[in-house]
Amino acid sequence: MSSRRSRASVSEEEINELISRLQTLLPSARRRGGSQASTTKLLKETCSYIKSLHREVDDLSDRLSDLMATMDHNSPGAEIIRSLLR
Amino acid sequence: MRGPSARAFQQGFLKNLILSLQACGSKARVSSSGSASATMSLQERKRAIKSSADIAMATARGGGARWPRAILASPPSSSRPWKASSPGKVRARSRKIVRRCFRTRRSRDGTGGGDSFARTRSVVSSSEIARRLVRKRTKVLRKMIPGGESLDEISLLQEAMDYVAHLHAQVDVLRRISNAVQ
Repeated sequence: MSSRRSRASVSEEEINELISRLQTLLPSARRRGGSQASTTKLLKETCSYIKSLHREVDDLSDRLSDLMATMDHNSPGAEIIRSLLR
Repeated sequence: MRGPSARAFQQGFLKNLILSLQACGSKARVSSSGSASATMSLQERKRAIKSSADIAMATARGGGARWPRAILASPPSSSRPWKASSPGKVRARSRKIVRRCFRTRRSRDGTGGGDSFARTRSVVSSSEIARRLVRKRTKVLRKMIPGGESLDEISLLQEAMDYVAHLHAQVDVLRRISNAVQ
């Protein structure tokens, strides 16, 4: 086996290993039960998952800003946040 | 990301978030002229919370990954700048067109006449094709991950895993704060 080929095959294994580990993070991992999905499909799913997480962060931030607008410094809500830090 | 490291990250994230929100709030109070009740407009507050959340997440993550540095290097004024925007898509499309033109021009300049199609193919080596396929596969993923544009595929996958795990934690903390405060 030429040195170039062994280097390439190690990278291929690493990539497959990383991709299967990535698969366990995705929400579909629980449903699929261990079957292998194609790399492209997994990459696409990762992208859409990140997108949905971004959207969720945006929605929660909006919700928080609405809540904070009604909150003043001495309200119980503010106290809860302070207690979360202790 | 499980157990104590997840909790440590979430606490760090929460602390950073509160601190930066307090900083935003006091800055707004100092700059707003006169009116006692006005702190920030709703839009400003929304933007402040979003950017605070991203910066807090990046700061709490620290140096173990590359995406935090990318976030902190270009703090978002509006939404996440590393997301593909329409001008970016247009630019990418025109770049593709230029590349295609350059490729055919290159083959034409290379020799006098003959079969230009065969010549075009020989100009593009197989490693170049492999590289282009890999880039095509990961093109969208690169845009989703801060700092992902310049990474090789393995680092990109590692960054993706790290980023997803920490986004998870970020969502978790924000959800718990919202539920606690309402």
